[in-house]
Amino acid sequence: MHENNGRLGFTGLILPVALFTIWYIATLDGGVPAYLLPSPLALALAVIDFTAGSERLGPYSGTLLVHTIASVQRVFTGFGLAAAIGLPLGFLTGRLALAKSSLDPTVHLIRIVPGIGWLPLAMVWFGVGEKTTVFLISLAAFFPIYVNAAQGAASVSPLLIRAGRMLGANNLTIFTTVIIPAAMPSTVAGLRLGLGLSWAYLVLGELTGVTHGLGAVMMDARMLGNVEMILVAMIFIGLFGRISDLILVGSFRKLNLLKRGYEE
Amino acid sequence: MKRTDLSANNISKCFLQPGEDRLLYVLEDMDFEIKEGEFVTILGPSGCGKSTFLNILAGFETANQGQTFCCGEPIKGPSPERAVVFQSPVLFPWMDVKSNIMYGLKQVGKKKGEAQKITAEYISAVGLEGFENYYPCQLSGGMQQRVALARSLILNPKVLLMDEPFAALDAQTRYSMQQLLLRLWESNRQTIVFITHDVEEALLLSDRICIMSKRPGRIIEEISVPFEWPRPISLTGSGDFSQLKSHILSILLD
Ligand SMILES: Nc1ncnc2c1ncn2[C@@H]1O[C@H](COP(=O)(O)OP(=O)(O)O)[C@@H](O)[C@H]1O
Ligand SMILES: [Mg+2]
Repeated sequence: MHENNGRLGFTGLILPVALFTIWYIATLDGGVPAYLLPSPLALALAVIDFTAGSERLGPYSGTLLVHTIASVQRVFTGFGLAAAIGLPLGFLTGRLALAKSSLDPTVHLIRIVPGIGWLPLAMVWFGVGEKTTVFLISLAAFFPIYVNAAQGAASVSPLLIRAGRMLGANNLTIFTTVIIPAAMPSTVAGLRLGLGLSWAYLVLGELTGVTHGLGAVMMDARMLGNVEMILVAMIFIGLFGRISDLILVGSFRKLNLLKRGYEE
Repeated sequence: MKRTDLSANNISKCFLQPGEDRLLYVLEDMDFEIKEGEFVTILGPSGCGKSTFLNILAGFETANQGQTFCCGEPIKGPSPERAVVFQSPVLFPWMDVKSNIMYGLKQVGKKKGEAQKITAEYISAVGLEGFENYYPCQLSGGMQQRVALARSLILNPKVLLMDEPFAALDAQTRYSMQQLLLRLWESNRQTIVFITHDVEEALLLSDRICIMSKRPGRIIEEISVPFEWPRPISLTGSGDFSQLKSHILSILLD
């Protein structure tokens, strides 16, 4: 495993370095015009200006924090709702035949329509902006969370349950001390997928028109012909997506729900 | 007169054969009894229904016919008074050794301080000092089975039900586990039902051997093991031992 990673680290560098070089050369004077693709230096300045406001490049100087807070709040609310509904329903569906037969068909029916397909209806129901964005995020994140929690709970070894039973656990404590921990790896995988989708649907929702948020920055910048800022917003969305994933996995590990011996 | 701890009267059990509409009769008219503090092994060919029978005694499964009692009460489901040691250790992989062993005490509501004290005693009883914080996947098969034994014994069960617990271990580890079990039995005198397909193991460990027929299983012969305790490994070389062993084998191979 480690050896493999090491080799990836080296060979993995070749492509980005090559791309960066092509980008650098292509955006030299007389190459691709700046309104299509900014040079690496211009992009770096835009990132710095967006973060610190030091370059006074325009309306986005130093506004990273405002937009980030707005976006993170939406992701947090939407993802939180999805988890709050998806986890309990998933666990129940995984363990109780009645819950499965009454919930599962409907959930999978709704799931047939891709999340994006809900956008027009969401705009009718919730108007453009805030609520639509949160709705789309929750809807998209719900499915992987629900499906993976159910799958994890359903595939807990019956022997583990017997072991818990003969050691004195009752119906409730079997759930809390055996089924949920045993379902954790699959559940966390679902949460991570859900969180990734949350960021994707954040952008979709914010493109419909909100005043603050990284998606809004992208949309405004496109209209102002400011291609640097589109790229800058993309970079930060990617960055925050990755950070939030690390925080998610890290907190499960902190809570001792993903102990070392367990993932192997 | 000692109390009868476990009894099964006229047990029958069948399963629906997967993919077919026919029933598979696994146990038929099985009778069994074990007295307080007795160590009984059940020997039988593979697939004759030994595990099925133990699962019924444990309360994991119910018989289609017949009754089972533990200390006079009908068996209704699993209970910590009938602890089980499975063939594979079946530890909770997300808990370390200490938490695995302490699990039962938590379920029955022991106070934390006391639970920790008792857990430490059992960890040393099964010789796992220094491994408290290891996870199951970091232990050898024999050590895992020690944890399984300790977590079952910690609840001080009246009855210990063991389903080929040492079958997957190498010869040396199996011998040391057998000795450990006998030591623990000597000090606590649980009633033990021990399933095995190893005739020597049965002769070295138990007061009495019940031999099961091929499927559908029931007990076709009971043998009181005449050897004195302790039974050293050299016993296996003695004439009486090999005579009894070949007698049992001839019944099994019949
Ligand atoms: N849940 C089940 N469904 C169908 N058949 C089963 C089930 N459990 C056990 N059996 C069958 O019952 C027979 C006895 O199994 P088992 O009690 O495990 O045997 P042993 O432990 O003596 O080797 C086997 O033929 C097995 O296939
Ligand atoms: Mg078996």
